[in-house]
Amino acid sequence: MNSSALIHAVIDGVLTGSVYALMATGLTLIFGVMDIINVAQGIFVILGAYLSYALSVHWGIDPFVGLVITIPTLFLVGIVVERAFIGRLKGPEKTAMSILVTYAISLVIEGSLNMIFSVNDVQISASYVTKTFRIFGVYFAYIYVYGFILAAVLLTALYLMLYRTRFGASIRASLADQTAAALVGIDVKRVSTICFGIGIAVTAAGGMVFGATNAFNASTSYDLISRLLVIIVLGGMGSLGGALLAGILMVTLEDIVGVVWSPVWSIIAFYIVLVIVLSLRPQGLFGKQSARIA
Amino acid sequence: MADSDAFVRFTGVVAGYGGGDVLKGVSFDVPKGGVTCIVGPNGSGKSTLLKTVSGLVRPRLGEIWFKGTQLVGLSPKEILRLGVVQVPQNHSLFREMTVHENVELGAFLVKDRKVIAERMDTIREMFPIVAERAKDKAGSLSGGQQRLVEFARCLMLEPELVVLDEPSMGLDPKTLRSMFNTIKMMNSVGRTVLLVEQNARQALRMSHFGVVLENGQVRLSGTGSEVLNNPEIGALYLGGSIEETKHVA
Repeated sequence: MNSSALIHAVIDGVLTGSVYALMATGLTLIFGVMDIINVAQGIFVILGAYLSYALSVHWGIDPFVGLVITIPTLFLVGIVVERAFIGRLKGPEKTAMSILVTYAISLVIEGSLNMIFSVNDVQISASYVTKTFRIFGVYFAYIYVYGFILAAVLLTALYLMLYRTRFGASIRASLADQTAAALVGIDVKRVSTICFGIGIAVTAAGGMVFGATNAFNASTSYDLISRLLVIIVLGGMGSLGGALLAGILMVTLEDIVGVVWSPVWSIIAFYIVLVIVLSLRPQGLFGKQSARIA
Repeated sequence: MADSDAFVRFTGVVAGYGGGDVLKGVSFDVPKGGVTCIVGPNGSGKSTLLKTVSGLVRPRLGEIWFKGTQLVGLSPKEILRLGVVQVPQNHSLFREMTVHENVELGAFLVKDRKVIAERMDTIREMFPIVAERAKDKAGSLSGGQQRLVEFARCLMLEPELVVLDEPSMGLDPKTLRSMFNTIKMMNSVGRTVLLVEQNARQALRMSHFGVVLENGQVRLSGTGSEVLNNPEIGALYLGGSIEETKHVA
């Protein structure tokens, strides 16, 4: 076994896994507060990637600088989608219906992206995407480190918002018990709308890093959403800490199995781990019955 | 119209869930400054009635007046702003949040941090458990302790009307006594209390006023002791029915 390849696998797992965790955080936040399974999260990531790509190609805006535009844009898109479609879902079938509604939204966005950008693969380019540095004898592109720092900053900001602000307390309260939250004066509907906006906004950052490290087109979203759903199921639906750990675990395990055994078995190994964990802990690593943010 | 004269006035309230009506024309007054206890058999509409006060259930017909303001049609948040706070039947603390966070959320509608801090100090004095277990997760408290913290939380808004839905549910006899004493204490510091209780005799004993609900209608009302000593209330709780509405007050 090549030790440098193993080191590469572990470092890549942490760096890339944190970006997956960021994308999955939006998904788990939306489920935790609203009981909505947003299967459009994958296409929102790709939408974020295309926005960064378009800003870079047409206006020469650096992808990281472009986040100043793409994050608020996707936040607003999230608000509009929640007001127009998601917020109208009510009753005991709400969660099941949300899968159908968000799948329909996903198809509309996918079709639109195909019309605008064609089905050909593209990739976001910048100097740090190809430029590399050496650590423990292994070469990494700077974009992986920058992407990790971005994910760490945003996840920390999200954590501080949740645990150090009144609005964060209202989110956690809504997540735990919507009726009790309403009885202390929290506007649960407003909290839900903003949470959906935040959940979509983080895809702008995740999408930019994904688009800079992978060639993509609109249909790439299918692979993404399956991974993101698996991450939040493994981490525990609604658990932010769980999403972080599961994201890193998924990529690290895939990379290690790819190095030690064979790339063919990479993703299969992860699903085997998922099945084992869920058979022992059906609620996932950090999932809880009563309160789902950990 | 004398609506503004009553502290709380229910007039012909009809409400329910889906297509069915649980409340079928409830009318009575809640006087200011006292403890009013609503009793009645399971399914008589007691909890539904309280939910109409706090805005969780909107009546199909009828009116609910609080100090001259119509509550029907207002959101729970708007009703809170008027000074009406409800502690629901099931434990409503946010289990993964600390005791301190839970109590502080009781003043969610108060923006002034200084005011919140002052009220926290007062609450800590009234409910020592809020200080003693401040950093513990609310879910780690016993049922009785959780109830006390719920009471503490509801007082953070300095409400004029405290609405309690079966506060004794699931409590052991010793904790029950302590809980009733706490309700008396809340009343003694100026809060009007409207409560629903299954533990009817004990609750009526400490209440100034009593209302008996049966099949979504008021069957009996009066002072707490009058309702308690009415011979027909026993029949009602044994599964019988009072044949006609009696106002013994």
